[in-house]
Amino acid sequence: MIFKCKNCGGNSVYSPEKKMMYCPFCESEKSDERQYEHAQMQTCPNCGGEVTYTEHTSALQCPYCDHYIIFDERIEGAYAPGRIIPFKLGREKVKELIRNKFRKCTFAPTDFLSEARLNTIAGEYIPFWMFDYNTRCQFQGEGVKRRVWVAGNIEYTESSYFRVVRDMSIAFQGIPADASIKMPDGIMDLLEPYDYGELVPFRPEYMSGFMGEKYNMAAEMIESRAHAKMESSAAAMLQQSINGYSSLTPANRSITAPSPGTEFDLLPVWVYRYTYKDKEYPFYVNGQTGKIIGTTPISKAKVWAYGATLWACLTAVTAMIGIMIM
Amino acid sequence: MENAFKREARKQYLHFFRIWFILVGIVAVVTIVAVTAKNMLRTTGERRNTQAPAERVYDYADVLTDAEEDRLRELIAEKEAGIGCDLVLVTMRQPVEGSEAREAYGYRYTDWERNMQDIADDFYDNHFYGYNAPYGDGALILDNWYEGQSGTHLSTSGRIFDRFGNLEIDRAVTKVDQYIESDPYKAYSACIDYITDVMSGKKTEFWSVLSLLTLFAPIVAAGVFIGTHLRSKEGKNTTTATTYIEGGRPVMNLQRDDFVRKHVSQRRIQTSSSSGSGGSGGRGGAHVSSGGHSHGGGSHRR
Repeated sequence: MIFKCKNCGGNSVYSPEKKMMYCPFCESEKSDERQYEHAQMQTCPNCGGEVTYTEHTSALQCPYCDHYIIFDERIEGAYAPGRIIPFKLGREKVKELIRNKFRKCTFAPTDFLSEARLNTIAGEYIPFWMFDYNTRCQFQGEGVKRRVWVAGNIEYTESSYFRVVRDMSIAFQGIPADASIKMPDGIMDLLEPYDYGELVPFRPEYMSGFMGEKYNMAAEMIESRAHAKMESSAAAMLQQSINGYSSLTPANRSITAPSPGTEFDLLPVWVYRYTYKDKEYPFYVNGQTGKIIGTTPISKAKVWAYGATLWACLTAVTAMIGIMIM
Repeated sequence: MENAFKREARKQYLHFFRIWFILVGIVAVVTIVAVTAKNMLRTTGERRNTQAPAERVYDYADVLTDAEEDRLRELIAEKEAGIGCDLVLVTMRQPVEGSEAREAYGYRYTDWERNMQDIADDFYDNHFYGYNAPYGDGALILDNWYEGQSGTHLSTSGRIFDRFGNLEIDRAVTKVDQYIESDPYKAYSACIDYITDVMSGKKTEFWSVLSLLTLFAPIVAAGVFIGTHLRSKEGKNTTTATTYIEGGRPVMNLQRDDFVRKHVSQRRIQTSSSSGSGGSGGRGGAHVSSGGHSHGGGSHRR
C-alpha cells in the first residue's frame, strides 16, 4: 500500500515532529488515504518502476518516484506486529544529534558530518520479539561478617556466621531481542532501553516514510538471548539483596522461569551508513531516545597533520621559553 | 565536492589550532622582546681589582706555542668579561711529591694532591687574582707536566667557589684529561669553556632538564593527544538490572539472615623500624689556603 495525500496526490508520511500523517509536498496534515492495497510487490504501484526487496522487507522507498511502499502481506496475519514505537525523532533532529556527538572526533574524515553524507540516513522499523518472564530466584548459603580491631599490639578478628535464605519473584516485562538478521545483535542491545510507555497498537500509517522488516526468525530461535539478559539481571538482583557480608558461600542457588510470553513489536532505528576507503561504518540511532551507537573512522592524514602540528607548536613554545630563561 | 571538503578540512584545522597558533605568536613576541631587553641590559660590571697582573697564561712547562698562548689570552679575556671572574692558567714542570721535593721547594706536605692545591692557591693569592677584589671571584687551572707526577688541579675562589661542587670540579678537570695528551691548547680551552658555561647557567641540571623537556615533552604530548583522540568507543550499555522488571523491583517472598555462631581470633602485630640519611651539596673541596683565604678545588693525577 501507499499513503497518498488526498489534496495533492503526493506521498503522505508519518511526521515524528508533528506526530501525525503529513504531506511534505502540500504540507497538508492528516490528508492521507490508503491506495494500491495488496498491490504486486515486484513493481512500485505508483510509478511501475522495479523495486528490489529482500524476503523480510515490509516497507521500502521506491528508488524512482521516492514513494514509500508498505507490503500489506508482510504486516498482516502472522506477521502483524502487536505494537510499535513510532519514530519520535525526525531526520533533522537525528542529524543534529550525530553532529553534536561526533563534533569533537578530530580525526574523523572531513565529510563524515557533511550535510550531503548525513542526508543519507534512513529510518527503519526493526522487528523485535519481546519476552515476559516470571522468574523465581532462590538462595541458601552461609554468610560471614568480619570485624577487626586492635588493642595494644594484638589484632582481633571476630567472624560471625549467618544462615542466609532468599526467595524472590521477579516479573520481567518486554526483554527485547531483535528478530532482524541484518542488524547486529550487540548493537541492537546497546541501543536499549526504549521507553515502553510510548508503545502503541500497530498501524501501517506509522511505517509510511520509513523502511521496515517483518520478523526474520521465530521467537523460539532468539529466546536464548532474552533468557541470558533475564538471568543476568536476576542474578544481579539476587546479589543486591544479600549485602553486608564479608564472604558468602552458597549451598543452593537457582534462577528458574517457565516459558516466557512473547509479543512481536516494531522499534524505530535511524541508520547512517558512512563509507570510508571502501569500508562501511554504520551508525545506529535509537529513533525514540536518540542514543547513538557506532565507531567513527580515522583519517590517517588528519592524525599525522594534527599530531605533527601539535608537536611543532609545543616544541616552539618550550624552545622559546628555554631561550628566554637562558 | 572534493575541493569543498578540502576547504572545510583546512578550516577545521585552523579552527582547531587557532589557540596554539596565537600562543606560539605571543610567546615568539615575548621571547624577542625578552632577549632584546636582556642583551641591552646585560652588563657584567666593571672589573674592580687593580692589584692583579694583566697576565692570565703562565706556560712555565712550555707546552703551548706562542700563538696558542695568545689565543688562550684572548679566549680568557672574552670569557672573563662574560662571567665576571678571573681565569688563570699555569703550567709547570716540577716535582711536587715526596720528602726531597718538600725540602727542595719548601712545600708543607709530601703528598701530590695537597702540594698541588697549595701551589695553585698560593699562586692565585700571591698575584691578588679576583675579578671583584684581590682573592675574589675566579679560578686557577694548575697543570703539572713533571714526568711521573703530572696532573691537573683546579683552584676555585669567590663566586666560582660558591658555585662549583665536587661534581663540577671533577667535570672541569676531566675536560683537561680528555685532550691533554693530544692537544694541550684544546684541553685548557675546553676547561675554560666548561667553567664559563657553568657560571653563565648553561650547564646546570635545570638546563639539562629543560633541554630534555624541550626534546621529549612535545613528542609525549603529541603521542598522548593522538592516543586519546584515536580512542573511539562504540557505545555503552545503559540498561540496568531493573530496566525490564515490572515496577522496577522484585518481590521478596522470603528473606532470612539467621545468626549461627561467632568466632574470635587474634594475632600479635609485628613492628619494625627504619631509618635513613642523605643529603649533599655545596662548595666542592672547601679549604683555607696558607694565606688564610677560602678556596675550593680538586685534582686529577695522570
